[in-house]
Amino acid sequence: MRTENAVFLLVLLLAAGFFSYNVQRLLSYLSIAQPDDRSGHPLVRLKNVITVAFLQKKILRDPVAGPMHALIFWGFVVLTVGTIELLLNGSFPAFSYAFLPSQLYTFYSISQDVFGALVLGAIAFAFYRRLVLHPERLEGDGLEHSDALLILGAIAGLMVTMFAVNAFGLALEPDSITRAKPLSLALSIPLRNLPTGLLTGAHAVFWWTHALLVLAFLNYLPYSKHLHIVSSIPNVYFSNSQGPGPKGVIRFLDLEAENVEQFGAADVDQMTWKDLLDGYTCTECGRCTSVCPAHLTGKVLSPRKIIIDTRRRLMEKAPLMLGDFSEVAHHALVHGEGDEGSMSATAILEHRLLDNFITEEELWQCTTCRACIQECPVGIEHLDHIVDMRRNLVLMESRFPPEVLPTFESMERNGSPWAFRPDDRAKWADGLDIPTMAELTERGESPEILFWVGCMGSFDDRSKKISVAFARILQAAGVPFAILGQEETCNGDPARRMGNEYLYQTLAKQNIETLTRYDVKTIVTFCPHCFHQIGNEYPQLGGNYEVIHHSTYIERLLEAGRVPFDTDAGKTLTMAYHDSCYLGRYNDVYDAPRETLRRALPIVTMVEPERTRDRGMCCGAGGGRMFMEETQGKRINIERAEQLLATGADTLAVACPFCMTMISDGVKAKGSDVPVLDISEVVASRLRV
Amino acid sequence: METRFKIAASGTAVDEAGLKYDMSDFDGYAVETALQLNEKQGPGETVVISLGPDVVQEQLRKALSMGADRAVQLKAERVPTDGLVIARALAAELKGGAYDLIFFGRQAVDSANATVGPMVAELLGLPCATAVSTLDIANGRGTARRDLEGAAEIVEFALPAVVTIDEGMPRARYPSLKGIMAAKKKPLEVKPAQLGEERLTLEKMELPPERAAGRIVGEGPGAVAELVRLLHTEAKVL
Amino acid sequence: MANTFAFAESRGGALRRVAFEAVSAARALADASGGGEVHAMLAGAPGIASLAGELGKYGADMVIVVEHAGLANANVEALAATAAARIKAGGYRAAIFSASAQGRDLAPRVAAQLGVSMAADVTAFELAGDALVVKHPAYAGKVIATLKLTGSPAIVTLRPGARSAVEAAREARVESAQPTSDPGASKLVVKEMIVGGGTKLDIGDAPVIVSGGRGLKSAENFKLVEDLAAAFGNAAVGATRAVTDDGWRPHSDQIGQTGRQVSPELYVALGISGAIQHIAGMRNSRTIVAINKDKEAPIFKVADYGIVGDVIEILPVLTAAVKEARAKG
Repeated sequence: MRTENAVFLLVLLLAAGFFSYNVQRLLSYLSIAQPDDRSGHPLVRLKNVITVAFLQKKILRDPVAGPMHALIFWGFVVLTVGTIELLLNGSFPAFSYAFLPSQLYTFYSISQDVFGALVLGAIAFAFYRRLVLHPERLEGDGLEHSDALLILGAIAGLMVTMFAVNAFGLALEPDSITRAKPLSLALSIPLRNLPTGLLTGAHAVFWWTHALLVLAFLNYLPYSKHLHIVSSIPNVYFSNSQGPGPKGVIRFLDLEAENVEQFGAADVDQMTWKDLLDGYTCTECGRCTSVCPAHLTGKVLSPRKIIIDTRRRLMEKAPLMLGDFSEVAHHALVHGEGDEGSMSATAILEHRLLDNFITEEELWQCTTCRACIQECPVGIEHLDHIVDMRRNLVLMESRFPPEVLPTFESMERNGSPWAFRPDDRAKWADGLDIPTMAELTERGESPEILFWVGCMGSFDDRSKKISVAFARILQAAGVPFAILGQEETCNGDPARRMGNEYLYQTLAKQNIETLTRYDVKTIVTFCPHCFHQIGNEYPQLGGNYEVIHHSTYIERLLEAGRVPFDTDAGKTLTMAYHDSCYLGRYNDVYDAPRETLRRALPIVTMVEPERTRDRGMCCGAGGGRMFMEETQGKRINIERAEQLLATGADTLAVACPFCMTMISDGVKAKGSDVPVLDISEVVASRLRV
Repeated sequence: METRFKIAASGTAVDEAGLKYDMSDFDGYAVETALQLNEKQGPGETVVISLGPDVVQEQLRKALSMGADRAVQLKAERVPTDGLVIARALAAELKGGAYDLIFFGRQAVDSANATVGPMVAELLGLPCATAVSTLDIANGRGTARRDLEGAAEIVEFALPAVVTIDEGMPRARYPSLKGIMAAKKKPLEVKPAQLGEERLTLEKMELPPERAAGRIVGEGPGAVAELVRLLHTEAKVL
Repeated sequence: MANTFAFAESRGGALRRVAFEAVSAARALADASGGGEVHAMLAGAPGIASLAGELGKYGADMVIVVEHAGLANANVEALAATAAARIKAGGYRAAIFSASAQGRDLAPRVAAQLGVSMAADVTAFELAGDALVVKHPAYAGKVIATLKLTGSPAIVTLRPGARSAVEAAREARVESAQPTSDPGASKLVVKEMIVGGGTKLDIGDAPVIVSGGRGLKSAENFKLVEDLAAAFGNAAVGATRAVTDDGWRPHSDQIGQTGRQVSPELYVALGISGAIQHIAGMRNSRTIVAINKDKEAPIFKVADYGIVGDVIEILPVLTAAVKEARAKG
């Protein structure tokens, strides 16, 4: 080993050491957080890592930036193989991959060149896109471009220096086994006539520049959003956003735990380590914010900001909590004690994420539609942050929009979010000959399914028509079913989404007790919120039932030919179906409603709005927002109604009573009289009487 | 009060099947007013008292979870119909308490008499401001607004005093989970209520005459005359 | 033959309608029990005596006039002490107060001082031997309770408007009296009286609420609703959430699930379709009128009376008709 190798080895070890120190430091920050068991289902998690991270499934949803980034990432993976060879070779000159079978080595050589060029091209486009095209989602939330430009510049620099090293190397040794590199070879040809001394010198300069740039870049990661190249793979692995298990299941809160003083999160140490890892992993790409219905209608909520604020606060608080006051001292040293920009350690500790970084207003604007999570390419789960902070607001501080108070009180007193008489719950069924579970049990019978009606279907005039339509379909198909009638109470979804876990668990336990008492196995409901709640979240409290949404159930009935239809083909309609968030993004039910509509109306023309399926835009009612005032920006339901009307459809179809209300209101507000129908109403209208 | 009531078989009470008791809105404002006063001008103790069967303990616990310090149940098999009997029992309990302020809701939402508050004040010899919609306490004196029909009075009084609370006062806070858990450990004392003989007794409860089904009176401006006629003769609201 | 006492409420030197209702009720009671006089107590600033004759018109045989500068603004402690003393001294069988804001404040104090029970907010009464049997609306008016009041005197507050004042002219003699307690020594002092006007009637108090929804098409059209409210005279203006969201009316006027819950005598829903959240806020109104151009609108399910038509056309006609009806009295 020569001196320069020894020096390089030293540099390499120092760089690696400093990097490890930072990684360890950042990992230690996670220790201030709450636990969260994400160890289950390793194979599913691994599959997610492969599809989301390595195959760039989410990234590729953007038709422009997608391929651009995928190229850079795959290029990075391929080139890293080369980088390792280079770094090892720098310390141990005998080392190279040449021991590999020659065809493999040739392939490897070529790949370095090819990907180097591709990456450089992609980087050039990235610069152009960021600086000239100015995509909207790369702006906002107080972000600056300096970090991104530095990263792009560094990568560009790495590519250029790599080609330079290769070119000068091949100019010196045209017969090197690396001559398989086509581009480097081409670049080296004009250099051959330069003096050997110059070539050697240039080669060394570029080699060292390249190597040092690699090591510098590596150590820049912990201070940059580029940290995502380290943290995104664990973040995607541990993320539950693509499963395992049902999506969108809120973390259970054990309200009976002894000695628990804090429910929900007001600050980073009250969140889980996964929430904090989300903070490390955010690349500030803005895909989440660009699809957020609140953001799109001019509200302050930006999902990206929530995550970035989490990271900023973590960086501020964690060191202090772990006894490291160096940052504060440094800041005071640089800016002077008592300077406006500097804050004492006490002040920092007295601050918190809630209120000082993330405002109440932002938190309440969320409709929990999951569009943000759906788009995020690195497995960030924004809703965990938002709901945890809502939990703190409601459970610890009783802070929530004043109009929500009657909703909570109604749920407590009447078992529904509105001030309606509980004994009116089954009135919609008067005269329809629908038995209750109580009646059937008394007769010693039990139904094939329980039709869970829900509060909208029981009390809202428009939704009652959906209840009737669905009941008629079941009766026409000869399905023995029953309802709970007055024994049904609100499933608790609005309370849970708004953070009132206590009220939610009270209601859920009541329902589980009733359902268990009647030994219910299969439940069908037309409300996606009831569907999600009872099917996916009740198991946390011991309620395990098979829950089917009516779109799926009706589709099954239609497929089995159990629904007698009129023989004529039905009206010629152009119909647009609006995807419900809790049916679609939460539960991946996109086809059943469409299939149901097509089977019911064989000559219907289905048109899709621009934002559809897992890109669909929320109607605005989720996350308890149905019960809150919308005080900022444009009304979400009007925005969505506009999108649906723009399809030119003469009829709109929905599969959720909340969507029904919001879209109908939106359509009316636009002065249009395009009818909005639930899919069961469409099917019922075709029943052979 | 959204419930549709049925009369129990006895004919002297409403059928309580499926009904839940809750703190009345007025009592909620009263508890909230007391809590806010102690928070702003504390330290002080907020004590909540109720008279009735054990079911009132739920409401006492609710007040404790809002932040009250302790609770007292004057136990009685049923809440007396006669307000003076209730007032005497409460006065006996309140006398020794050395309270600066005694708050009542303006009236009970079910019996709707609004008599107990001022009666207690008389029995204790304390000044009393009823149905206040604003209240300021400073330097041992109180100032309050009382809404009359189409007018209002601003009244002043010295502490100790009795105040009954009306709309316009702050709404009851929603108990936090912390509050609910802390309430379980706060003292709730149960004592027998000292009840005298009732001179006002309940003979019967009945539902008011059924509301006739609504109907469309007509179409367009031409139907106005008929509507006004009906409002005058039938509904008697005009 | 025991006499009957009635408290005649006055404000600002004028008798209020409820004073006549109380006297009239006392007269009816006296007549039903086979005789006895009706003595009305009239208290106020010096000069109030001039109103005594009016009380005679409604059946008072005697008016006890209590004049004192300190009674210019109702001095509830002095009034209570004086009334209690007179009632006790006079051996009255019954004492009738109004269940007005003042009466609800006054009567319980009198009852407690006399050590007798009372029946509040009654809508009807009749004698049954030594007892008085009354009817009283309970549970926000959803249940009517029949109560028996024993003991002497029987103290009662009468719900304003439950019994009309009936003329039964007498020559009322006047007896002057002094307040039993020094009005200046009252522990509850009225510092200021603010008389109505200027402040709109609040939807929580108003016996009539006229409420507007999207059917009014624009904020400007709410002027029509305000005109109707003015025609009623005792009406407040409410609004639906859709309309307050659009900024046509302030949020404080919003009636519904997330707004105010009201239960007036009369609720007029104008151009309101009847969404679930709105109905939850007003369904306890005693009489509901709805005007909407869609005959399938859910509001018609809760309304007692409805007109199908364009609310903008109908409002001016309705306002004129109400004004006329009100003027007729």
